[in-house]
Amino acid sequence: MASKTQDRITTSQAVFILVNYVLVASVFTLPRVAAQKAGTPDIWLSIICGGLLFTIPAFLIACLCRKFPGETFFQFAPKIMGKPLALAAGTLVCLYFVCYAAFELRSVQEVTVFFLLEGTPTWAVAALFLWVALYLCRGGINALSRMCRLITPLAWTIFFGVCLLSLKVFDLDNLRPVLSEGIAPVLRGIGATPLSFTSGEALLFLVAFMDKPKQAGRVAVLGTIITIPFYVTSAVLTIGAFSVEGVVTRTWPFIDLIRSFEVAFLFERFESLLLAIWTMQIFSTFCIALYGAALGFSQMTGLKLNHCLFALLPLVYLITEAPRTINNVFAFGHFIGDWAVLMFGGLSLPLLFLAAFRRRKKA
Amino acid sequence: MRINPTAVFGAAGFFCGKFGSKCMIHPGPAKIRTRIGKGAGRMWNSIIKWLPGWGELLQSLMILAIPLGLTRMMLWIRAQEGKASTRGQRAEGKKGGGVPSSEDTAEAAQSSIAASDKKKSGAEASAGGEETGPPLRYSGCLEEDVAKFRAACADMSDVNVRRLQIGSLRIPAALFFVDGLTDKEGMDINILKPLMNAVLAFEGISALPPPEELKVIVTQRILQVSEIEYTNEVMQSLKKVLFGSAVLLVEGMSEVFVLGTSKGNTRAVEEPISEALLRGPRVGFNETLSDNTALLRRHGQHTGLVMRSFTVGERIEKEMILTYIKGIANEELIEEIVRRIHTINIDDVQESGFIEQLLEDNYLSPFQQIQSTERPDRVMAALLEGRAALLLDGTPFALIMPVTFGMLLQSPEDYYDRWFSGSLLRILRFGAATISLFAPALYISFLSFHPGLIPTKLAISIISSRQGVPFPTLVEALIMEVAIEILREAGLRLPKPIGPAMGIVGGLIIGQAAVEAGIVSPILVIVVALTAISSFSVPMYSAGITLRLLRFVAMFFAAFFGLYGIVLFFLLLSSHLINLKSFGVPYLSMITPYRMSDLRDFVIRIPLQLMKRRPTMLQPQDKIRKR
Repeated sequence: MASKTQDRITTSQAVFILVNYVLVASVFTLPRVAAQKAGTPDIWLSIICGGLLFTIPAFLIACLCRKFPGETFFQFAPKIMGKPLALAAGTLVCLYFVCYAAFELRSVQEVTVFFLLEGTPTWAVAALFLWVALYLCRGGINALSRMCRLITPLAWTIFFGVCLLSLKVFDLDNLRPVLSEGIAPVLRGIGATPLSFTSGEALLFLVAFMDKPKQAGRVAVLGTIITIPFYVTSAVLTIGAFSVEGVVTRTWPFIDLIRSFEVAFLFERFESLLLAIWTMQIFSTFCIALYGAALGFSQMTGLKLNHCLFALLPLVYLITEAPRTINNVFAFGHFIGDWAVLMFGGLSLPLLFLAAFRRRKKA
Repeated sequence: MRINPTAVFGAAGFFCGKFGSKCMIHPGPAKIRTRIGKGAGRMWNSIIKWLPGWGELLQSLMILAIPLGLTRMMLWIRAQEGKASTRGQRAEGKKGGGVPSSEDTAEAAQSSIAASDKKKSGAEASAGGEETGPPLRYSGCLEEDVAKFRAACADMSDVNVRRLQIGSLRIPAALFFVDGLTDKEGMDINILKPLMNAVLAFEGISALPPPEELKVIVTQRILQVSEIEYTNEVMQSLKKVLFGSAVLLVEGMSEVFVLGTSKGNTRAVEEPISEALLRGPRVGFNETLSDNTALLRRHGQHTGLVMRSFTVGERIEKEMILTYIKGIANEELIEEIVRRIHTINIDDVQESGFIEQLLEDNYLSPFQQIQSTERPDRVMAALLEGRAALLLDGTPFALIMPVTFGMLLQSPEDYYDRWFSGSLLRILRFGAATISLFAPALYISFLSFHPGLIPTKLAISIISSRQGVPFPTLVEALIMEVAIEILREAGLRLPKPIGPAMGIVGGLIIGQAAVEAGIVSPILVIVVALTAISSFSVPMYSAGITLRLLRFVAMFFAAFFGLYGIVLFFLLLSSHLINLKSFGVPYLSMITPYRMSDLRDFVIRIPLQLMKRRPTMLQPQDKIRKR
């Protein structure tokens, strides 16, 4: 028992990690982005469809990783597509993680500086966040899974509690008519969801740590589907409160929703609670992405994980600060979403075939 | 079949371009294609090109440098510690094992397993002891031996000698003992009297019998003492004499008898002061090791309770007992504890706190990784969960290891009362711990950063009451917090009759005067008082100190970063606790268990009927508590 580290996670822990990874800052913004694209109140349908759609690549990636139990993508990729190509793909994946982490950090920074700490230098906000994340990531996958387990009950309770309270300003008429312009806006709305729902990339390294890799597919599907209610709730409530026109004009519709009502009950205002737990939630996402990137780099280059973590800090920070304005940040987010679709949606199926093909050839 | 990388990267580049044109100088799709193809190094370069400004570069360097520096410092401290101490390197120490226990042979008789274990440790000890140099041995000639012994204890005038002649054969002998440590009455009746009156034992023997035979006769027919050991080393026997045994030297025998007749002054078994309970046994450990082990034995009849004896302290040796339940405690855990005990090489262990600090995993952590307790029932409960405990001679504080976070907020009462009250009290304690950790920090952050986040009326009333206060909230809160910590510390040292008066003077009068003088706001006094009271509800005193320390850290985080700072402080604390381990058991394993079933005994104490398994995080051998 002493000094023996359990670098294995159970299926339920894997689900927790995945859910925490998928639930990100875009809960605040998804209603706006989707409403902009769709232009009708049906975005909740788009979100459900998007969520279900994105379980498919996640599931495919899980199938792929399941073929190589105990190995991360960075370790088994050379076996499928040869070393140079694997190196390139691995680097792309790592960079994706870095950009994703940076985007999350930037969201925290924007929200914090805007709502909580006016006038505090942004670099200080980012630095504190990065350092704590570094400290956690040094503990490895087990520390991450424990952190997710710790945060999840807190975050979920407060999220749904706050949502219940916001029913006060909810107006069902804003959601009607359903499918007024047919199915087309719904399909357009799906285009806004990739950033919120992509989960497959976390599986690229997560499956390697699972004690029962056979259940990877279940983890992928569960992990993505569990998050759908969160996004749907946030979309339905914000549209219900502000109508489509109102949502489109607000930068952070969900926070505005929580700010828009007062309940004469202990706190009166709940955005502080929401921001607190959501900072934790994004922290867990950030850590998972940072850990994934560091793990990838360390396995591709043979460096120590800790060194990679340290080396990634300034890189993440620079990418975090790269977008100049808030609009650039959202454009950045959109770009990351597209990147994910291309890479993980487009790559997973061919890779799966390739893996199966290679295996057969060997046999 | 192969994927065409050009197509994929081209498409990616297209998106990059779309995005880049908005906000960055971008090399364009064609370039990125080649760069990505050439691997990480080139990619890094192209990112450098996107870099905006020196300021951010500098900041990023600082972001790298500070944790790097901190880590270096930690590594350096650890390296210094590694050089200075022997922990971790000395798996099998020369020291340790120690002399076989003489204190609890009576208890050893109850448990065959314990006895066999003890013999093993005794054997290790004698092997270890001989390496220290050629020992001075007894020769068998009484006068010579007495002289040797006298020489060894030349400057110890409290060592007395009593010369006598044994029985009808008039074999000369000498008895060494220490005034005040030896039970004189018992010695007179059970040793001197039978020895001098021994006539029957020597019936039919006219000459001095050979040593072997004499030893049997003296041991089995004359002496009325239960604890007898033999040794032929002078220093070994002197050590025993100095700890209260009597040593009998007999003419013609090169082995001397070490007779256990020790009687030190002991305190009666009293209710522990630091851990009082309303319900539960009113028994606490005292300073005598044998009393303490007896208290554990008295808990109930069981043959699996192992008591392994160790000697700690290089110069001043003390006996320490490692106790655990065979069949429950994980063997690896016990091995690890034993290994760490062997690395203790301090000259004297004054209290079990020394052991605690020398055994713990991480001495840079504010959290205690070994729990100290005065309550035998708490030790017993821990043993039954698969933990181990250390009892040191001379202190009433036993050490329980490994520790998890939940234990610090639990009290044995939770299990004695019905589960409703147990659960309620636990929830209360968790709430209290949270308050005592975060209340002043929340006050600071809400008042100085986001007064808009608290109810408007409350905000107005706080701010209007704060109008005359000349300090920023951090200074204001620090003044009050430091004042109350001083009051508490002073109250602890004062004689009992003055203590309450001091509390009244300090708490009421100074608080009232401070508010009236306009130095602090009345709301802050409420917050600080609430904090202080809450921190007293933590059942473990030392855990309370940890919370007090961390409260100040939280206040500084709040003063610089407001609510965000508190959230990050919470995350930092959680990360630390998650990474912290006590003897290989994750510290937070109660809150974030590997198996969900461990949650049954954390905040909610489920009914005993349902508590069927021991906590799995300790990996006990026998997992079932109840069928």
